[in-house]
Amino acid sequence: MRVNQERRAQWLRGVLDLCVLAILARGESYGYELAQSLEAAGLGPIQGGTLYPVLLRLQRSGLVTAHWREGVAGPARKYYRLSAAGSETLRLTANDWNAFAGGVGAVLREVAAQ
Amino acid sequence: MNPQVWLAALAGELSRHGIGPDLAGHVVAEAAAHLRDSGEAPLSAFGPPAAYAAAVADSVGGPDLRPPRRVPGAVRLNVRGVTKRYRRRPVLTGVDLTVRAGEIAAVVGANGCGKSTFLRICAGLASPDRGKVYVNGTVGYCPQDSGTCGFLTPEEHFVLIGAGRGMPRTAALRTGRANAAALDWSPVSATQARHLSGGTRQKLNLIMARMGEPDVLLLDEPYQGFDRGTYLDFWHEVWRWRDAGKAIVVVTHLLNQLDRVDIVLDLTSTKERVA
Amino acid sequence: MTKTCTVAEMALREIARRRSVLVMLLLLPLTFYLSRRGDHLGQSIRFLCLGLGWALSTAALFAGSAARAIEPRLRLCGYRGHHLVLGRLAALWTVGATLSLPYFLLIRFDQHDVRYGAVALIMAITVVVAAPFGLALSAALPRELEGTLVLLTVIGLQMMMDPAGTSSRILPFWFSREIGTYAVDHTDSGYLERGLIHGATFAVVLTALVVANSSIRLRQRSHLQFSSPR
Repeated sequence: MRVNQERRAQWLRGVLDLCVLAILARGESYGYELAQSLEAAGLGPIQGGTLYPVLLRLQRSGLVTAHWREGVAGPARKYYRLSAAGSETLRLTANDWNAFAGGVGAVLREVAAQ
Repeated sequence: MNPQVWLAALAGELSRHGIGPDLAGHVVAEAAAHLRDSGEAPLSAFGPPAAYAAAVADSVGGPDLRPPRRVPGAVRLNVRGVTKRYRRRPVLTGVDLTVRAGEIAAVVGANGCGKSTFLRICAGLASPDRGKVYVNGTVGYCPQDSGTCGFLTPEEHFVLIGAGRGMPRTAALRTGRANAAALDWSPVSATQARHLSGGTRQKLNLIMARMGEPDVLLLDEPYQGFDRGTYLDFWHEVWRWRDAGKAIVVVTHLLNQLDRVDIVLDLTSTKERVA
Repeated sequence: MTKTCTVAEMALREIARRRSVLVMLLLLPLTFYLSRRGDHLGQSIRFLCLGLGWALSTAALFAGSAARAIEPRLRLCGYRGHHLVLGRLAALWTVGATLSLPYFLLIRFDQHDVRYGAVALIMAITVVVAAPFGLALSAALPRELEGTLVLLTVIGLQMMMDPAGTSSRILPFWFSREIGTYAVDHTDSGYLERGLIHGATFAVVLTALVVANSSIRLRQRSHLQFSSPR
């Protein structure tokens, strides 16, 4: 079943920052690599125009820190790293999300079972 | 639209949306890196420049996701009627300033209006002709330049300052390295301070001022020689310290950060006004 | 104690990294020694000790000037004036003692019929006096050039003035000639006593002077009042 594009974008809007924090919990990364990781995780292609504003917001709110670093061969990249506040937020919000998604899942399973 | 044209258009749109040149530079450079890495067309990756600039402006100027800032705490620094003359020329005339825990005060003004002198008086490194400074807690001071030992390595500076603050050697080293990492710097252990670049030496200066978590931080244009990225990192660090309840006074001649501070003290007119 | 030791350690590291200065410090007394070794053995010992005093005073002068920029900062982060001075003095004394050792051995094996104990004593007092002397100069004359010129004058006078004259006693290294005479010419112990008293007085007065100066310069200024948080 193909998921409606519009709806999918709406879902993503609610959880993209959380997913970015979760990916960064694995280790620091830069924008394009994050986009690839998110796609690999099954979230579909994330456009730069969507991803970078989210990163800026996370940086501004102190949940991630960012540093420019020269690449080995390529150009300088802005690397993002989870801050202490970020991992704390991630931990709390992931719990909330799991409870919420569990609720949604339970309700929808009733539908599927009929 | 080819990437160069798109990026140039983005730069223009960002400034139209009120994004300062520092942040705009970052956003453009990051978008350029993304386009190079992905090989995507700018329009499909980021959309029209104006729309993307609006999204950026929204994410930095829009609703702050930060937990609502605590109400400023106790008064940490209280300057009352500080007056200082140099060779009969009044430099500071009856300057007042109150900074509470969790507040940033920016000291601005034309060259030679006494910004550094004011900070040195607050730190107790110079005496005013009249006036008092009350400090509730400990003070960290970062001078504009110098203030490091040329023949010592950064890590020896950490140990030296740390010992003054009563920190054991290992704790001082750990703190120093962690604070260096926050400014995207990992000190090479064999490099003496005199061989560091100006910007890196300023990072060292800043880390020394932060050693031992002083309650009041007095920073005298500490970002001289910083590149764009580090300059932004620096302000993010300052905001983080503020949120950790420090009282911070920054001497600055750059005005584009003034909307992010709590108090502006303009020494040109020596009048305090709350931003 | 930790604070004083840390200052001493860092001051030692700084001096140790000034390789060329160290080499010159080491060679200066040697040239003094060799200049008179051929014609007058006793005089060569006196010159060596003066050279040692000069070298160490100069090192102290430069160390004091170099520390000037950072000291207010150290004061602000918890050091007191006496931590800084005593730490720096300890470092300079260590350097002086290390420097003196090879010279003492040189005299021990190169010279005969000399009171070696007295020579060691001269070197020890020279080291103890030279360090605070250099620091006192750096405190009085902020610019290194002026301090160096004063040092040059003092050492020059010390070499030329008649040690028997009363006025030569105001020079900081007068004891060195007095005890030197005792060591080389086997005079009576009056020379030793006078030298000891002179050296001890200068050591105490100069050390007290630099500690007092540092305490005043780095005092808590009266416009500033601290209270502890919360």
